[in-house]
Amino acid sequence: MNIFIHELKAYRKSTIIWTISLIAVFALFMSMFPAFSKDADEFKKLLEGYPEALRKAIGLNLGNLFTILGFYCYALTFIILCGAIQAMNLGTSIVSKEVREKTADFLLTKPVTRKQVLTAKLLAAFASLVITNIVYIAAATVIASQVKTAEFSMKQFILLSMTMFFIQLMFLAFGFIVSVLARKLKSVLPVSLGTVFAFYFIGAISATTDDEAKRYFSPFKYFNNDYILKHSSYEASFMIVGAVIILLAVAASYFVYTKKDIHDV
Amino acid sequence: MNVIEIKNLTKTYGKARGITDINFNVEEGEIFGFIGPNGAGKSTTIRTLLSLIYPTSGSATIFGKDCIKFAPEIKKEIGYLPSEVFYYDNMKVKDLLKYSASFYKKDCSKRIKELADIMDLDLNKKIDDLSLGNKKKVGIVQGLLHEPKLIILDEPTSGLDPLMQQKFFELLEEENKKGATILFSSHILSEVQRLCNRVAIIKEGKIVTVEKISTLKENNYKKFKVETKVPLDQNYFQIDGVSNLTGKGNVTSFLFRGDINAVLRKVAEIEITNLWIEEPDLEEIFLHYYEKEAK
Repeated sequence: MNIFIHELKAYRKSTIIWTISLIAVFALFMSMFPAFSKDADEFKKLLEGYPEALRKAIGLNLGNLFTILGFYCYALTFIILCGAIQAMNLGTSIVSKEVREKTADFLLTKPVTRKQVLTAKLLAAFASLVITNIVYIAAATVIASQVKTAEFSMKQFILLSMTMFFIQLMFLAFGFIVSVLARKLKSVLPVSLGTVFAFYFIGAISATTDDEAKRYFSPFKYFNNDYILKHSSYEASFMIVGAVIILLAVAASYFVYTKKDIHDV
Repeated sequence: MNVIEIKNLTKTYGKARGITDINFNVEEGEIFGFIGPNGAGKSTTIRTLLSLIYPTSGSATIFGKDCIKFAPEIKKEIGYLPSEVFYYDNMKVKDLLKYSASFYKKDCSKRIKELADIMDLDLNKKIDDLSLGNKKKVGIVQGLLHEPKLIILDEPTSGLDPLMQQKFFELLEEENKKGATILFSSHILSEVQRLCNRVAIIKEGKIVTVEKISTLKENNYKKFKVETKVPLDQNYFQIDGVSNLTGKGNVTSFLFRGDINAVLRKVAEIEITNLWIEEPDLEEIFLHYYEKEAK
């Protein structure tokens, strides 16, 4: 419990900054929505000039772009990208931070098992994401109801927003295993940015074809916004695969870390 | 009773680093020196005891329990001070120590105050702002605040000024009197000589010898320095029991172990202007352990 609280305090600043940034990106997009929807027809004509493959790759869906939820779907690709970086950063620092700051000796010579240390740290990172998402969704709901031009389904709005949380969990798990496998990570950011953008582009490329199977290769494509808007639910197969990936990554990280030699600095 | 028992402990990793077949015991209530040059395997041994690294073969027990299997339980009673101390930089000393204390199920706040007073440590500073010596003090307080039964020190004196070192040694002796067992690793012999009852010497990953300090220093070793009118033949004193023979101008010096009459007879045969017979310090006794065989 003490490790959990210590870690949560250590994350406090970054959690606040990320949460505010996410809300700011959302607010920025939503501030454009009233003007955007007013001139819908002209924008539509303009955007139709883009090749279809490009529109798909960047997630533009002209069919619903001018409703608030459709517009949100577009904004979400950027917001989730930021969220993924936050999660990957958190995951990667779980172990690498102790190595980099050379505090692993301090923590691991205390009367706790390595599993307890990992669990406390993982839970703290998880809690940081939960807090980010709760505050983000609350703020987003308020902002959205301010700028709406027509009624929209609150359930779908929240379902859309929560896709960020699930994608973050996947990146948290990726970051976790990377930090456990690497002997020493000098800096977290290049690793997390690299991984996140790599998956983002894989996702963008896979979106240009209609091959459903390719969606499994990028966490960003595990949630199909059109499907959510149509059925007000997530696709079970992707939820299951996502959960399995997370569990495997976390289990592997525990396994490796408990067997690992903690080297001298 | 043995607090630490190390049996055939071996750890191989990387090239040429590691330890081979380490065996020694540390008895309850003693201050045990663990000495060897840098890179000899002191830290590797200690890190294995603390289950920071896992042995390739062999085992070690602390308080009679396997040091890997029962690591969390054992560590309740261990205080560890690493050679280089690093802590969460943006914390205050006070908060770091509180965090450290929170791992032990007892109230350590009084002890923290006492130790900070003895070591002259400002609790309200940020760790980031501390000098190396002051960080080391944080390490000392951190290692001792839960009044551990076993104190493991890995080159603890680097960065401490002589006055603080003195206070630190007094502190250790006090803890020892209260019943704490201490494993003290160092490459500085005089520290070990001053504090320890027994000592293990490690060299290139192997234990060379485990002996009582008193035995090592017992009168069988003498340091001779002979001054003569004319330079002596280099090999004049080359008899059984002589080591570290050096001649510099008119002064010849060497260590001697054995029947002292043999040397004195040799001395009597030559014209000398001065003669010193002294107790050697450990440094000189250990010198031959330190010199690499290859050289």
